[in-house]
Amino acid sequence: MTDRLENMALVMPGLLLLGLAFILPVLQMLVLSVSGPDGFTLEHFTRFLSDSYYLGILWRTVRLSALITLITALIGFPLAYIMAKSGPRLRLWLTLIVILPLMTSVVIRTFGWIVLLGRSGMIPSMLRDLGLVGRSFSIIQTESAIVIGMVQVLLPFMTLSVLGVVMSIDGRLEEAARTMGCSFMKTIRTVVLPLSLPGIVAGGLLVFTLSASSFVTPSLLGGSRIQVLAGSIYNAVTQTLEWEFAAAQAVILFVGVALVLVPYLSVTGRRNG
Amino acid sequence: MKLDFAKMFLGVSALSLMASAAVAQEKTLTINSFGGAYEEAHRACIITPFEQETGAKVEIVTAYSADAFAQVRAQKDAPQFDIIHFSGGQEIVAANEGLLAPIDAAKVPNLANVYDFAKANVAKGEGPAYSIAAIGMIYNTEKAPSAPTQWTDIMDPAFAEHLVLTDISNGYGMLGFLMINQVNGGTLENIQPGLDAVTKLLEAGAIIVSKSPEIQQEFAQNDAWLAPYASDYGYTLRKAGLPAGFVQGEEGTPASLITVNMVANRPNEDLALKFIDISVSPEAQQCFADALRYSPTNSKAELSAEVAADVAYGEDGVKGLLRFDPIAIEANRAAWVEAWNKTIAR
Repeated sequence: MTDRLENMALVMPGLLLLGLAFILPVLQMLVLSVSGPDGFTLEHFTRFLSDSYYLGILWRTVRLSALITLITALIGFPLAYIMAKSGPRLRLWLTLIVILPLMTSVVIRTFGWIVLLGRSGMIPSMLRDLGLVGRSFSIIQTESAIVIGMVQVLLPFMTLSVLGVVMSIDGRLEEAARTMGCSFMKTIRTVVLPLSLPGIVAGGLLVFTLSASSFVTPSLLGGSRIQVLAGSIYNAVTQTLEWEFAAAQAVILFVGVALVLVPYLSVTGRRNG
Repeated sequence: MKLDFAKMFLGVSALSLMASAAVAQEKTLTINSFGGAYEEAHRACIITPFEQETGAKVEIVTAYSADAFAQVRAQKDAPQFDIIHFSGGQEIVAANEGLLAPIDAAKVPNLANVYDFAKANVAKGEGPAYSIAAIGMIYNTEKAPSAPTQWTDIMDPAFAEHLVLTDISNGYGMLGFLMINQVNGGTLENIQPGLDAVTKLLEAGAIIVSKSPEIQQEFAQNDAWLAPYASDYGYTLRKAGLPAGFVQGEEGTPASLITVNMVANRPNEDLALKFIDISVSPEAQQCFADALRYSPTNSKAELSAEVAADVAYGEDGVKGLLRFDPIAIEANRAAWVEAWNKTIAR
C-alpha cells in the first residue's frame, strides 16, 4: 500500500503537468474545432478538406517532413556510427559539434541561412558568377531552403538517438561478421543497420513530428508564398482571427502525423519484437 | 515628547502625501501611444509641450489600435483612458458604440485650420486625424530607370524583377493592394482585378515580404527598385543610407488616418480637449513631419522643402488622399487574406 502511494506520489507531478498543460488544452482545441455559431458543426473540416489549396499545404507539410527525416537519417547514421567507434575524447568533441546548432537561437540561425541563400547571398552569387544560374536565382523562399534549414536544426535529434543505440551494439558481432568473410559495407548492412533500427526509428519520429509542427524556420526561409500547415494555423489565429478554423487545422495536423506514425511504428515494432 | 513629535511628523507627511495624490489625480491624463520611435516623437512633439503648458501629467500606455480599441470597449462602464489614438479606423466603430465623446469644435481652436476630411465627424465623436500615413511608391533613386509617377507604373516590365510587394497581413500592405486593385478596375466589393494583377506581377518576378524591415533588406541587399508602401518608411530607408525616394501616385494616395479621440464619461474633459488642440496644432504637426515624415492635417503647418517632398503636403498634396472604408476592410479581412494567400501560393 505504501509502495503504491509512493509510486503515485512520484508519478503525480508528471501526470499533473501532462494533464494541465497538454491533455486539457488538446481537449479544448478539439471542442473548438467543431464549434460554430449554432453549436456543433463540421464546417471547418469540410472547408479544409474540400479546398485544394489547404490540401496542398497539408501535402507539402507531410512531404517536406518525410524528406527532412530521410536526409537527417542519411547524414545522421554514418555520423553516429563514426562517433560510436571513435575514442571518448574525439566523441566528446563530435557531440559538441553536433549539438552546437541547438545552442543558438532559431531566429539567428535562420538569419544565417538567409544571408547565405538570399538573392545576393554567398551561394547564389557564386553560382551566378560561375554562369550556372540566371540573374534572379535565389534559394531563399523555396522548399529547398526550408529543407536545408530544418535538416541543420534537426540533425542532432537523429544523430544522438542513433548514437545511443549504436554504442550499445556489441562490437564482437561486427568482428564475427568480418571474420566470417563479410565486407565492411556488408557488415554495416546486415549487422549494424538492423540493430540500430530502433535508434533510427526513434530519431525519425522526433524529426518527423518536429518538422511537421515547426513554424519559425519554414516561415522565415520559405516566405509567405510557401505555406506549411503550422504557418497556416498561425495565420488563422493571429491575422484572420478564425480560431475555430485554426483548431480544425491543428486537429488535422495531429491526425495526419498520427496516421503516418502508426504504420511506421507497427512495422518496426514487429521486426524488433 | 519625542514620540509625539514622531507621530506628528508621520501625520503631516501622510497628509501631504494624500494631498499630492489628490492633485495628481486631477491633473493626470491617461493616453495610449504606439511605442518605439513613434512614441518618442509623440512625446517630443505633443506630450511634453502639453505637460509644460498645462502642468498636468500624462500617463502613457503602449497599445496598438486594435488592442487599444479592445481595452476601451472592455472598460465601457469604467473607462481608464482619457485620450485614445487609433490608426486603423477604429474610431468609427467606437463612436457608434458610444465609447467616444463628441468634440465641441469651439473648444478646440486649432481645429479651424484642419482639413475638412480630417475632422468630418468630430461632432459624432470620431476624433480628428492629427497625422496621416500616406501610401505611395518608394523607389530606388539611383537604379530605377525612371521615377514612377502613377500606380499603373507598378505594372511596367522595367520594374518586374525589382518590385517588392507587401503581404496584406500588414496594414500598409493592405492599403497598397487595394490601390493596385482600384487602378486595375477593382472595388471594395470585388478584389479579383487586384489579385489578377498580383498574379501577373509575381509571374514577372516580383517578390512578397511580410514585414517592413524586409523591405529595407530588399533595397539594401537584393537590388529592389520599387515598393508600394508608406511615406514614413521611405524616410527610414534614407536614414539608413539607402537611395530611396517617395512619390504619390497620380491616381490617388491611400491614407491611413491617425486620430486622437476623447473617451466618453471621463472627468478631465477640458484637459483632454486641450490635448487634442495641441495634437492638431501646426507646431506639433511640423514636429511630427520632421521626425517621422507623417503628413500633417493642419493647413497652417509649414514644412521645409525637404520634408514636404516626402509627405502629402499642401492643398494639392492632400487633394489626392483617399480613404478605403475601414469598416469594409474589417468586414472582408478574413476572406481577402484567404484569397490573397491562395493567389500568392506557389
